[in-house]
Amino acid sequence: MKMVRAIVRPEKVNEVMAGLMYAGFPAVTKIDVFGRGKQRGLKVGDVTYDELPKVMLLTVIEDKDNDFVIETILKAARTGSAGNFGDGKIFVSPVEESYTVSTGKAML
Amino acid sequence: MKEVMAIVRFNMMNVTKRALADAGFYSLTTLKVTGRGKGNVDFFLLQGAETGHEEAVAQLGSAPKLIPKRLITLVVQNDQVKNAVKVIIEVNQTGQKGDGKIFILPITDAVRVHTGETGEKAIDNVLKGVPVK
Repeated sequence: MKMVRAIVRPEKVNEVMAGLMYAGFPAVTKIDVFGRGKQRGLKVGDVTYDELPKVMLLTVIEDKDNDFVIETILKAARTGSAGNFGDGKIFVSPVEESYTVSTGKAML
Repeated sequence: MKEVMAIVRFNMMNVTKRALADAGFYSLTTLKVTGRGKGNVDFFLLQGAETGHEEAVAQLGSAPKLIPKRLITLVVQNDQVKNAVKVIIEVNQTGQKGDGKIFILPITDAVRVHTGETGEKAIDNVLKGVPVK
């Protein structure tokens, strides 16, 4: 299994969530986060916004769905056709086990 | 070291914390999150979206249908993973959909900021753990 953590623009969240639902991955956890990237935040005139609001979407998937899910998130989260700075990042990490609390069984 | 990431019901937070503390897992980090699972899918809406109704597509994944949950993260020693999972499941299980999920992720290193200790020394050892069945 893989855990996909996607940090996306808050205004793109609904699109990403809809895309995932449509692709057959309804289970997603949403966390509001603040952060900065390589561009060191945002400079507007003399004002620097160091930490920008983003949303982290967390989902755990089977290994075989990895590429498909990332492709789905990319398609929904990118602004314009070429994309822009601040569109976000996707991190994938391994998950060794997962349990469903209601049944107590080790299954996704 | 393993990271145990549990998503549980909002009102189960206090009992879960108490049960974990009783089992010796004192250190944890929590987050307030919202989310949806397999059981929270509106199939009527999904069907509408599949047949191409624009209203249904627009409503897919919109915010109000996300349910508030608590995310508990604890980093434990390898041999305590089963124990932690057991404690969390025992307390949170009602048998209904929406009880939550537990994920186990590998952690390659940990550092205690206070002393600079690294590796397994940086993680608390369970003092009075319940025996693992």
